[in-house]
Amino acid sequence: MKAFAYVKAAGEKQAIAALAAPGGKALPLAGGMDLIGLMKDYVAQPDRLVSVKELDASITKSPNGGLRIGSAVTLADLAANADARRLYPALTDAAAEVGTPQIRNAGTVGGNLNQRPRCWYFRNEEFNCLKKSGSRCFAVDGENKYHAIFGEGPCHIVHPSSLAVPAIALDARFRIVGPGGEREVAAAEYYQMPDKNLYGETILGPSDLLTHVILPPPGQTRNATYEVRFKQSHDWPLAMASVALSVQGQNVRAARIVMGSVAPVPWRSPAAETVLVGKRLTEQAAMEAADAAVAAAKPMSQNAYKVQIARTAVKRAILKAAGMKVV
Amino acid sequence: MASWPPSAERSLIGKSIKRLDGPVKTQGAAKYAYDINRPGMLFARLLGSPHPHARIRAIDLSAAEKHPGVRAALGLIDPAAGEAAKVRYQGEEVAAVAAVSEEAAEDAIRLIKVDYEVLPHLATVEQAMRPEAPLVFPKGNVSQISERVEGNVDEALGKATIVVEGQYSTQVQTHTSLETHGGVCEWEGDKLTAWVSTQAVHGARDGIAKALGVPQANVRVITDYMGGGFGSKLGFDRQVVVCARLAKAANAAVKLMLSRKEEHLVTGNRPSAYAKVKAAADPSGKFLAFDAETWGTGGAGQGAGFSVPYPVYVFPNRRQRHRDVYINAGPQRAFRAPGHPQACFVTEIVIDELADRLRIDPLELRMRNLQPADATGVDAPNRQWRKYFPMGAEKIGWSKRHPTGDATAGPIKRGLGCAANIWAGAGNPQTRAACEILPDGSVTMRIGTQDIGTGTRTLVGMITAETMGLPLEGVHVAIGDTNYPFAPGSGGSITVGSVSPTVRVAAEAARDALFAKVAATLGAEPTALEAKGGRIAVKGAGGKSMAWREACKLLGTEPINAPGQWEKGLSDVGTSGVQFADVEVDIETGVTRVKKIVCVQDAGMIVDRLTAESQCIGGIIMGLGFALYEHRILDRNTAQMVNPNMEFYLLPGMSDIPTIDVTLVDQPDRGVVGLGEPPTISTAAAVANAVANAIGVRVRTLPLTPEAVLTALEQERAGGTL
Repeated sequence: MKAFAYVKAAGEKQAIAALAAPGGKALPLAGGMDLIGLMKDYVAQPDRLVSVKELDASITKSPNGGLRIGSAVTLADLAANADARRLYPALTDAAAEVGTPQIRNAGTVGGNLNQRPRCWYFRNEEFNCLKKSGSRCFAVDGENKYHAIFGEGPCHIVHPSSLAVPAIALDARFRIVGPGGEREVAAAEYYQMPDKNLYGETILGPSDLLTHVILPPPGQTRNATYEVRFKQSHDWPLAMASVALSVQGQNVRAARIVMGSVAPVPWRSPAAETVLVGKRLTEQAAMEAADAAVAAAKPMSQNAYKVQIARTAVKRAILKAAGMKVV
Repeated sequence: MASWPPSAERSLIGKSIKRLDGPVKTQGAAKYAYDINRPGMLFARLLGSPHPHARIRAIDLSAAEKHPGVRAALGLIDPAAGEAAKVRYQGEEVAAVAAVSEEAAEDAIRLIKVDYEVLPHLATVEQAMRPEAPLVFPKGNVSQISERVEGNVDEALGKATIVVEGQYSTQVQTHTSLETHGGVCEWEGDKLTAWVSTQAVHGARDGIAKALGVPQANVRVITDYMGGGFGSKLGFDRQVVVCARLAKAANAAVKLMLSRKEEHLVTGNRPSAYAKVKAAADPSGKFLAFDAETWGTGGAGQGAGFSVPYPVYVFPNRRQRHRDVYINAGPQRAFRAPGHPQACFVTEIVIDELADRLRIDPLELRMRNLQPADATGVDAPNRQWRKYFPMGAEKIGWSKRHPTGDATAGPIKRGLGCAANIWAGAGNPQTRAACEILPDGSVTMRIGTQDIGTGTRTLVGMITAETMGLPLEGVHVAIGDTNYPFAPGSGGSITVGSVSPTVRVAAEAARDALFAKVAATLGAEPTALEAKGGRIAVKGAGGKSMAWREACKLLGTEPINAPGQWEKGLSDVGTSGVQFADVEVDIETGVTRVKKIVCVQDAGMIVDRLTAESQCIGGIIMGLGFALYEHRILDRNTAQMVNPNMEFYLLPGMSDIPTIDVTLVDQPDRGVVGLGEPPTISTAAAVANAVANAIGVRVRTLPLTPEAVLTALEQERAGGTL
């Protein structure tokens, strides 16, 4: 691991100043669950780490009935928060399934939303892939069983954040603070496809910080997340889905359906949403929506099986949100 | 001749005794090679080749040598050495540095400039078997070509009406020892002490001495505790020699432990196995023929052989043609029951397919085709499947098994499967020990074996204490050091069969020497004495006795030091066992969850029931990894491993481990029998058969990933595989 300087920031302003200060590349460090691994693998080689552990680590109720979640909240604290569990089970279930207890105890909401892809070509030093300014994506004709089934490339990662998927389904907004001040963006606008941003995955600038996740009041929506993992212990989802359904009477009035681990960004499916809107919440409707969600999938040479898994995740997330039997 | 005490008189042997080293291990006080720290110690890192095949034209260490903190640097390949100047797999060691910190060493190896002439490489057996394929070794990519034939296979197959045919395969599995390979080396003049993570202290000593060109007497190897080897630490390791050379060059102690990535790349693996099989039975369910073309790769090394049909069952006509195929990947090493899980998988899956064709219960079909009992109708004690299959069937609830394909509605399908195992494993007659009794009553058993996590230390203590009539805490166990008498490397399930008899012999000799000393005082012949309950007593009711410590005081200033050598009659060769699996498969996701594994295993005379059960549980968990998760994945284009970690090299975690129900069949008359390997053999085959029973489609490859299960289901929908 390359030697680095360490700056302990007392709050937002100090952290941003430290990130923006001259003298090499600086990166924010919260739980370190992702960054330390990247550094040990010589994939990230920052000159300076800025500790952002002092950022807001609280979950507070907004006046409108929503929640405001500080980036420094740990995944374990989010998963255990009673208000969050009641209002946004899609989010807390996703948090509860991340990694291991150790990772959830140290890892933060901000860290999860901003983690780098787990693509094995990106993570292994000897592959100089597109994301590391190389000239090819090794996954295209290589080992792509865990790679994307949506998107046109040129890089075929799947986005690794489990929280990003429900965040988009729940129409969350992210508060970003940078040298130029603060702003809010919709979660769906935060993540960028590789053709827009090859070397990163988000709109976050080098001296910006994501400080809060702002969730709107859920109103009458029901939300849920369903994750398909091979192992029960420490493993990544093969595919997951988060849904937020607004139900009026017996029919779905509006739906937001987002898949995870299937594309370089959390993959919202307007086609599935259209299928579901106006229908009664039945298993048949869930299956039709799930079919629509994966209809446009373009699997690579080894990951056609993920289409079936993504379909199942969507169907089961809908059934779970509807309070119906999932399996 | 030494003998075991009669069953009724045993105070420790055969009981469930907690490991002697449990407390120090759980408290972190046990010092593994990884934990050894010496004054002024440096840390070494290796530079491995990033290229799977290359000729080294030059190695320039100068920038690394100038890096702050670096104290020594070595090139490990001589560019002028012809064939030996080539690397044949990713990670093959090219250079090494020792520095004041691990981080400085890690940074420094990146400053070494190596001029590689990159050569064409082979990532798969398919690539290697093409006529135009580049060569891994000059003699060609195929070796170990063999053909074994019994009976007339072609004739039997020609006549048969029930024939199954298919291609089966198992993946490359890496040992993934939690403690990686390596050690700490320290010179004192021309004498070397090496703390090594090894399965063979004596073997490591000899290998290091030879490689360094120093007298064996100048090398001492110590392995107090070690964190897993599973065969990969049985041979002698190059890393320790590099470590010793760096220590010499830097004139300081050096620690060199491999990274997790290196551990996956260079420390061995279970070779892949492929088999094209045609097998036949007659309509009554008697096996007729088994014809197999097999191949596999041990990377840049031989040893991918496995014997089918697996010799639990009788196929009167059988033929196997085998080839080992070289590719540019880390060479294989012995891996817990080499060849057996592969052979068991291929054979047991074929048997279930025959059972489906015959519409005979697969357990019944197995019972009809087991190796025959001897002429008197008695199955040998190490071939007891006829007895064990019904025991396992009872425990798993086999009577409730449905025919292939769970007809229950919904996506979750349940299934049962079974498989058998056979293993040899004898004691090494050259094993020696020395037992010391001091005048204050202290007892020490010294034996140059090593506890590789199996409980050997505890067994040595139990047998010594049992022999002396003392409690377990009344004896000291000294193992894991070449200063102690020779014992063989711990591999092939031979440790318990080598060590237990030897310890008994040495302990009896020491005890008898003590009897001779105290006989006069007790007014009896030495042969009339016994050691029991902490006392030396004249046998029989009301005989005179004295406390152990009082007896030992009679030694005055002269301790007893009794040597012992392995004797026949205290151990036996070979075990047999069966396993059953109960699984749940979600056919909408392809995810398999194993609910329960039942294991019935022969264990000869059990020394420690608790550690014997632990061996079975550990073997089953490893077998579960082989069945579902573990897979060394090489990028097909670059031959570089994409999952050299524990993130995508999947291993069963706590929540993935099913209920494990172990029945140890105690056969006290057999003497001790090794148990390290057999419990891992049958798990994958039993799980694979259970998965097929659940989903109604056969998956003929391991591991049984969601991808493999969904693909098989998809193929079935598209036209059928059964």
